[in-house]
Amino acid sequence: MLRYLVLLLAILMPLKSLAITPEEVMKNSQAAFLYPGRDFKARVVMRLISKSGSVRTRELTMLRKNYGETGGDQKYFMYFFQPADVKDMTFMVYKYPGRDDDRWLFIPALNMVRRIAAQDSRSSFVGSDFTYEDVSGRDLADDSHEIVGEEKLGGADCFVVKSTPKAGDTDYSHKLSWMDKKTFLPLKEEYFDKRGDLYKVFTAEEIKDVNGFPTIVKRTMKNLQSGHSTETAFTKVDYNMGIEDSLFTERYLKQPPRKWIE
Amino acid sequence: MKKFSLVEFSVGHPRLVVAIAVLITLGFLTQFPKIRTDTNPKNMLPPTSDVRVWNDEVEKTFGLYEDMIVVGIANEAGILNEGTLGKVVHITDEALRIKGVAARDVNSFSTITNVTAEAGVLRIAPLMAEPPAGPDLENLRKNLFENPLFVNRIISADGKTTAVYIPLEKGANGKEIADRLRDIVNKEGGPEKYYITGDPVARDTFGSEMFKLMGIFSPISGMVMFAAACIMFRSFLFPVFIMMPAMMIIIWSMGLLIGMGFPIHIMSSMSPVFLMAIATDSIHIFNEFYFRCREKKDKRAAIIETMKAVGTPLIYTDITTAAGFASLLFANIIPVKVFGFGIAFGTLALLLSSFTLVPALLTLIDIEKLKSAYEKEDIRVSKTSFFLQRLGGLGTGRPKTVAVIGLILCIVAIIGITKITVNNNMVEWFKKDSDVRTADSVINRALGGTSLGYVVAISDEDGYMKTPEAMRYIEGLQRHLEGLPAVGKTSSVVDYVKRINRVLHDDDPKYDTVPDSKDEIGQYLFLFSMSAKSSDLDNVVDYPFGKANIWVQLKSWDVAAMRSVIEAANEYKASHPEKFELKPAGTAYFNLVWNDDVLWDMLKGFIVALIAVFIILAFNFRSVKWAVVGYVPLLFTILLIYGAVGYMGKDFDMPISVLSCLSLGMAVDFAIHFISRLRQRLTETGYGNPHETKPLIEALLWTAARPGKGIMRNAVLFASAFSVMLFAPLTPYITVGAFIVSMMILSAILTMIYLPAMIVLFRRRLFGGG
Repeated sequence: MLRYLVLLLAILMPLKSLAITPEEVMKNSQAAFLYPGRDFKARVVMRLISKSGSVRTRELTMLRKNYGETGGDQKYFMYFFQPADVKDMTFMVYKYPGRDDDRWLFIPALNMVRRIAAQDSRSSFVGSDFTYEDVSGRDLADDSHEIVGEEKLGGADCFVVKSTPKAGDTDYSHKLSWMDKKTFLPLKEEYFDKRGDLYKVFTAEEIKDVNGFPTIVKRTMKNLQSGHSTETAFTKVDYNMGIEDSLFTERYLKQPPRKWIE
Repeated sequence: MKKFSLVEFSVGHPRLVVAIAVLITLGFLTQFPKIRTDTNPKNMLPPTSDVRVWNDEVEKTFGLYEDMIVVGIANEAGILNEGTLGKVVHITDEALRIKGVAARDVNSFSTITNVTAEAGVLRIAPLMAEPPAGPDLENLRKNLFENPLFVNRIISADGKTTAVYIPLEKGANGKEIADRLRDIVNKEGGPEKYYITGDPVARDTFGSEMFKLMGIFSPISGMVMFAAACIMFRSFLFPVFIMMPAMMIIIWSMGLLIGMGFPIHIMSSMSPVFLMAIATDSIHIFNEFYFRCREKKDKRAAIIETMKAVGTPLIYTDITTAAGFASLLFANIIPVKVFGFGIAFGTLALLLSSFTLVPALLTLIDIEKLKSAYEKEDIRVSKTSFFLQRLGGLGTGRPKTVAVIGLILCIVAIIGITKITVNNNMVEWFKKDSDVRTADSVINRALGGTSLGYVVAISDEDGYMKTPEAMRYIEGLQRHLEGLPAVGKTSSVVDYVKRINRVLHDDDPKYDTVPDSKDEIGQYLFLFSMSAKSSDLDNVVDYPFGKANIWVQLKSWDVAAMRSVIEAANEYKASHPEKFELKPAGTAYFNLVWNDDVLWDMLKGFIVALIAVFIILAFNFRSVKWAVVGYVPLLFTILLIYGAVGYMGKDFDMPISVLSCLSLGMAVDFAIHFISRLRQRLTETGYGNPHETKPLIEALLWTAARPGKGIMRNAVLFASAFSVMLFAPLTPYITVGAFIVSMMILSAILTMIYLPAMIVLFRRRLFGGG
């Protein structure tokens, strides 16, 4: 009898003592998903697919540079190739934890750089099903996190984390994330609306190792309610190239250097 | 003849016949739990119809919602104050939580996309998150009234009304959502007034009223009929026998429709009342039976002789009625077809019961109990008969005067008919003081209009909509359409482009125009799509930018309003040749199409019924001449009613056009009874010489007094059943009630006056040739 009891305790104990906190899972995930490397570059092709199957394509080069630790400041630079009539358009974001981003847009037809207000980080990123937040991340402190289970997803062991926004200003009431225990990349995310219904699903379809960084190179966001979805593919991914700070200035918005955008 | 063996069998085995009838009825009754209703006017046309396929395609291409509920919020003191705006935010917030609401596309002050430039920063975001105060409020006011995308959409020009637009997911329960919204606004209270409107609200209100009508009005009209019959026959038993077959065939016919899987639609919801009224045809049996009972004391013989006398006219009246309804089978509109089929089936079932169940029931009566009642049934003492003889006497006494008056009335009626306007307005199906109508008129007055149509510009070149030429073309078309009195507001992709152009140029009104290059337009649209809700653009342009959707808000649900839009669009196209096509779409367009379809169907049905009824009459009387005479009261009745419709200025709408067909089959019944019985009488009395008028007039007066009493009883019962509908909560039912009541009374009176007059006038032609 005692033997069984000890065994039972032995089974339960490690779970208790070795358990990772949900905050740690999220922090690790943030580091793996949004902050890997000092800088990052990818050619991004987004296919915006309407319910009826029509497709709009967005093609851009995305550059990112980290300033500080995971969860710290970041700068993004984007150059658009497609749609054709926006070729040469560039977009720059300074992202700060805890306050609104700064955004600038260069409009080639007017040869004009405009600052763009960024009140709503939940708004769509270039018309896709991804929001600005989905692209550049959300402050971990804005949500309360809870591990609600551990599941196998496509062969990978995952933590299932439930994140509930503390303020009511989001379009979703809570989110479930399946975090790969090895890479800490999100393999799936489910967004639930304010009525508690599942309405948006993120899935990571392909993960590649680039310079030692596991990188999601194919991902999809599907809106179950509107039937709209966005497929995103990353190519020409690179890390730690040594992007200069000067790239992230108005001057280069107007005339982006070839070597970075190609 | 076969029918008499049927009668004899029924008289011989009354209990068996009743038992079989009850069993069949129970069989049909088992289908009732499967009942479904369908109040969506969309289902008037099959999903494969061109207009529905096209509308579905447009909805899909532009990500549009089929259904939208609009919550109007009005404050006499203006809505731009913290209190009212707080309520708007709160109501919107609550609405987003309702199941079935397409939350991502709800538009109101707190969710609608606003494009502004503040201190050099371009801002594309919802108009306001929190109700502003002080200087921010002034800023909001400026933003609102400067932006044509907002005026007449979320704010009225006088600033006193706003609206929350709530699109519904496919298959959402519109009624539940509307009820929930009502709770929400009721909780808000305050000096503001709230109006909840939109297609789903109207439809569901209509649906519940329809059930009320079936559940309350049908039984009431049954009871009214029963009471009238009790007075007429001075007995309780007879009316029970009139009502029983009526109830039975209602169950048969409704059970059949339900069992075949048809949902109850506005048309078929009227079936019980129609069938009840048609069942009054069996009055002729009871009417004659009363007379016969008094003359012959043997019940069995009285029954068989009664059936011999009224059998033939009964067959023909039921067949003409069935033919009138069956003519609806030629309709394209499915619910109309179903209705026609159900009533035609019910009428034939009634015919069968007249030869089986009714004689069986009569056999089961204890005739002694009726004695006191039928003793008075004598045309020499009956006041009604005396009155009817006087009525017939008008025709026989002064046939020429009567004919001339008739001709004059006909001419007057025809002038009235030329004044008829063809129109249909579904909101006007509700009474003027109903919530639906009030909400609709308030929102129409204050905002751009609740009835929505689209004009889709289609180019076969991808990206063409981004060219300045296309943009200017659409802009011109919008201004042209806005010149129409029926159009409240139009919106298109051009409005967004102009807005962004202006905002990017430091809000300089000079730039409130279409830019000069395609790149510029493309970049503006991209810029807009970077932050706006995806639906903002999707609703107005398709993915490859080859098609543009122009929203046309109409101030009226009249189909004429959309017609004027289509004409104006064609006019514009003719005077401004461009590379693209313009095609109408949307609910307003759908209503126009099916309205035209109904009218065309009905016209077709009317002609078919007209011919069918004539052929049946000619066959019945074995004479074309008599058929022509029998036709006179029918045509006269229809002319008078439609003449009155014309003078009253009532639109010739869906309910009226449907009635035109079936009225033919019913209005001719009296003439059939009258002529059949008259000719029977003339044969009995041996009339042969057309130069002799006295025996003819005597026979006519007898017919007016005896079978005429049956006609009168029939008309009064029929009219009393339908008069209940005059108190119905929905105007189509009122229209139907008024139409049928006046038709029955008119055709009865016209039969009594004009048939004798015509027969006297044309006696040489009618009897001369043989």
